[in-house]
Amino acid sequence: MIRTFLFLVVYFVSVLSVSAQQNDLQSILNQNSKAVERASRKTLQPVLKSLIDSKLKEVPIFLEKWRAKKVWIRKSDKQFFYINNKNSTPIKLIDISSGEIVGLEPKNKLKQLKPNSGVRSIIASTLVQFQLIDIDKNRRLAALKAIERDANSSHLNALRATINKEPLPSIKARMLRLERLLTIRFDENPTKRIKAINGFAGDTNVDVRAALNPILQTKIAVSTILPEDKNIAKILKVGDSISTQVAYDILVKNKLAPAQISIQERDKSLIANIKNSEIAGIKTSTLDNEQSRIIAYQTLVKIGAVPDFVTNEQRAKSLKEFVFFNQYIETNKTVTTAAKKTLDTINARVKVFSFIDLGLDGLSLASIYFLAAIGLAITFGVMGVINMAHGEFIMIGAYTGYVVQQFVPNYTASIIIALPLAFIVAFAAGVALERLVIRHLMHRPLETLLATFGISIALQQLAKNIFGTQARPLTSPDWLGGSWVINDIISISYIRVAIFFLALAFLFLLLFILKRTRLGLEVRAVTQNPRMASSMGINPDKINMLTFGLGSGIAGIAGVAIGLFAQVTSELGSGYIVQSFMTVVVGGVGNIWGTLAGASMIGGLQKIIEWFNPSNTLAAQTYMIIFIIIFIQFKPKGIVALKGRAAGD
Amino acid sequence: MKTAFKNSFIYKNPSVLIFLSALAILTIGMTILSEGFGVGLVSTSFIKILGKTLCFCLIAIAMDLVWGYCGILSLGHFAFFGLGGYMVGMWLMFARTKDIVINSMVNAPLPPTPNEIRDAVGSQIFGVVGGSEIPMIWMFADSLLIQLLLVILVPGLLAFVFGYLAFRSRVTGVYLSILTQAMTLALSLYLFQNDSGLRGNNGLSGLQNIPGLTEVSQDIISVWFLWASAIALGLGYIIANWLISGKFGSVVRAIRDDETRVRYLGYTVEIYKLLVFVITAIIAAIAGALYYPQAGIINPAEIAPIASIYLAVWVAIGGRGRIYGAVIGAASVTLISSWFTGGQIPNISLGFYTIKWIDWWLVILGFGFVAITLYAPSGLGGLFDRLVRKQVNEESK
Repeated sequence: MIRTFLFLVVYFVSVLSVSAQQNDLQSILNQNSKAVERASRKTLQPVLKSLIDSKLKEVPIFLEKWRAKKVWIRKSDKQFFYINNKNSTPIKLIDISSGEIVGLEPKNKLKQLKPNSGVRSIIASTLVQFQLIDIDKNRRLAALKAIERDANSSHLNALRATINKEPLPSIKARMLRLERLLTIRFDENPTKRIKAINGFAGDTNVDVRAALNPILQTKIAVSTILPEDKNIAKILKVGDSISTQVAYDILVKNKLAPAQISIQERDKSLIANIKNSEIAGIKTSTLDNEQSRIIAYQTLVKIGAVPDFVTNEQRAKSLKEFVFFNQYIETNKTVTTAAKKTLDTINARVKVFSFIDLGLDGLSLASIYFLAAIGLAITFGVMGVINMAHGEFIMIGAYTGYVVQQFVPNYTASIIIALPLAFIVAFAAGVALERLVIRHLMHRPLETLLATFGISIALQQLAKNIFGTQARPLTSPDWLGGSWVINDIISISYIRVAIFFLALAFLFLLLFILKRTRLGLEVRAVTQNPRMASSMGINPDKINMLTFGLGSGIAGIAGVAIGLFAQVTSELGSGYIVQSFMTVVVGGVGNIWGTLAGASMIGGLQKIIEWFNPSNTLAAQTYMIIFIIIFIQFKPKGIVALKGRAAGD
Repeated sequence: MKTAFKNSFIYKNPSVLIFLSALAILTIGMTILSEGFGVGLVSTSFIKILGKTLCFCLIAIAMDLVWGYCGILSLGHFAFFGLGGYMVGMWLMFARTKDIVINSMVNAPLPPTPNEIRDAVGSQIFGVVGGSEIPMIWMFADSLLIQLLLVILVPGLLAFVFGYLAFRSRVTGVYLSILTQAMTLALSLYLFQNDSGLRGNNGLSGLQNIPGLTEVSQDIISVWFLWASAIALGLGYIIANWLISGKFGSVVRAIRDDETRVRYLGYTVEIYKLLVFVITAIIAAIAGALYYPQAGIINPAEIAPIASIYLAVWVAIGGRGRIYGAVIGAASVTLISSWFTGGQIPNISLGFYTIKWIDWWLVILGFGFVAITLYAPSGLGGLFDRLVRKQVNEESK
């Protein structure tokens, strides 16, 4: 008994006086040998502390070996060794200080230290401070990243100790930033924390918000009178900022008020008290409504079988005796105030940035709609023809891209080939449709609509028969993969940027064709007055054919662009057809600027509505369509309406 | 007496009597051949197909009135059809779930309260969309009478509001078509949402089971619905012919041919168009309310814009501007379509490729439709007309 006691005293004294004794690594470990051998989360801290306090240069190597389960102990004299190859016989022992082989032992005389995963992660986080002063800059960076991911209070001092030794300015800047973040989280001096918090005003990075938000965490507390010493965020008014039910539940949880009897509990008690299909003399068959069940329960209360209901008056009375408030978990009021202020400036800026991001999203959607609709706008505007098969020309373009990729494996080359080829294929299909069908249905717009719908279902089914129903990939080249990230909030994928420029290119190309070429002149003439144009020597038949081909060809190119970010299916085009029509109608028929305005409005609007309710894109589309229906009430000719004779009837 | 008969619209439209007797012969004949009431030569599933086809014929009549006679190419009448189905479906689903719930609670120690039944019904119906609350729009779902009224009121009101807005701002022609299509798309997208209160894309199901008639077999119920559909179609046919034969019909046709001129003659064009639009929407809704108990399931995909375009296709194939044309078109396309896609026609093997009719039917339909638009603009009904006229001409010689 006395021996045990003495042993314990010696043990604890030795643990506490490690740094004073200033020994080599082996002896430090021997003093703590039990804690090292059977390391657990609880016993680990003093060992690690004495190891670090010893300031021995072997310590980081030891910790790494320990974590990698390469530290063994010799059973006879409790000496520690490293073992690199445990399968050799006999096993070579490596000295933990010199790193040299100091002996050979059979395996059964040794025991491996196997720290569990919790211990290993604590060792790893202790190791970080050594890695921070490593000569290899990649290891220093890795250590920084490890702290950024998962920091604890010990890292703060380690970081502060190393910052001034850091030679590389880029890493130093990162360390300084991390030091401020850790100061916010772990420093005990409020002045330092507040200084660090104020330094982050307007910084929108996610890590700053992650450091600040926990400071502002609150919990609901209850008390009879408002405590002066607590850091109170907000006083809650029962029935207003906190519901009566929630408030009362808190009282019940804190045993400050009797529990309410819920309907389930009431029915449970009733069922428990059934005797011969009667409850306290009331037949169970009559209990098919709330009223009679309450009466039955009250009968049970009278005979003392169950606790009474808490009436609303009782509840209100109990609630009146207490005051509810939101209390910051952080106790220092100046810190929470500073954090709140900084977070407010950050949130204001986040809002601006997310609005810019929304604008970019809207712009990208608008350019997709523009590409999809511009071909339709040309045919609709010039010929007054509704082409329901327009979506299928988009589909033809996308499938052309897919087929090209089957033959040309280089994605960049295949896209460069696919774009003009898609135009040619869709142009040919468009001309064929115009020659074979639409020409015969001139001046019968509704019939054209239906006939082109027939073409549309036939083409869709043909595509299904040829390519199958499963989605086909149209892979974009690597340089279009990924996103352009400006900061944590604003980013846009390169494909969408490319589509934006493609749309822009088409805008200018079409403007050029229509305003500066002979073909454009003739197209505009036919648009305004076909008869007059034909008497001036223009062949309206030919112009119609070319216009229709042009519109269809552009749809083909749009198909390649859309296929790059969506899967290519036979329904690819039909998903865009209604939106395209609305783009044309909202914008104003027969006008490229109108289509641009329509696409911008629809794309932008859809994103804005999605912003209000981000989880529900279906609702956004629904509301947008309703908005368009109402919009057309007020501007039936669209945003950019043609005036004069050209407007027709 | 004789002159009164000569002035009546039935005398002016001999097709009414012919049509009604054909319909009666078909219905009675099918009843005799059915499994439920007769000798069992015709399967129950075919009776159901027939019943559904009659509903399609009814909505085709509505489409013909609004497009063929009034010149409004509405691409939204299937939305009204679907809405009618939803209204009846709500009652069917609610009442049946309630029956099941009550049955399952029979052995509970306490008899269920109305609240408990409601909660159980709610979690049964809305469990699939992650809810258990019964939404407000199901307020009357327990009452067949009110839901039947809603079959008329809800689509009627939607048609009224939409039509009022559209006609007032004088949106015509293809613009109006696109606008109606947008309305249909908006409605179907709305219904696709899980929190629309109508079970999102799951739709309403199990509608073929009529509450309170669980003991009656589908063989018999299918015949009842065939009769109901036939009677509705007959009434619809009479009403449509009556509408177009009087002065109202003349004004409506005049609007189709030259709206501006009718307006100059002092007629308020908007009111006529609105009336036609609302009446046809209601007819479409009734057709839907009869169709979906036979189909058994309704979901938002049925309301998608393409369905309404198919409707226009039926009428165009049948020949618009003739009530019987619409019926012929709807009946022939849906019956042939179910024949082709039902796998009854053997596939043709060409050695290197097998023509599967299921895959090629839509291609045939699409191109066939284009051919009809190009070469027979008056549709199948036009061919029929030509035959009749030939006969009349020969008789008069």
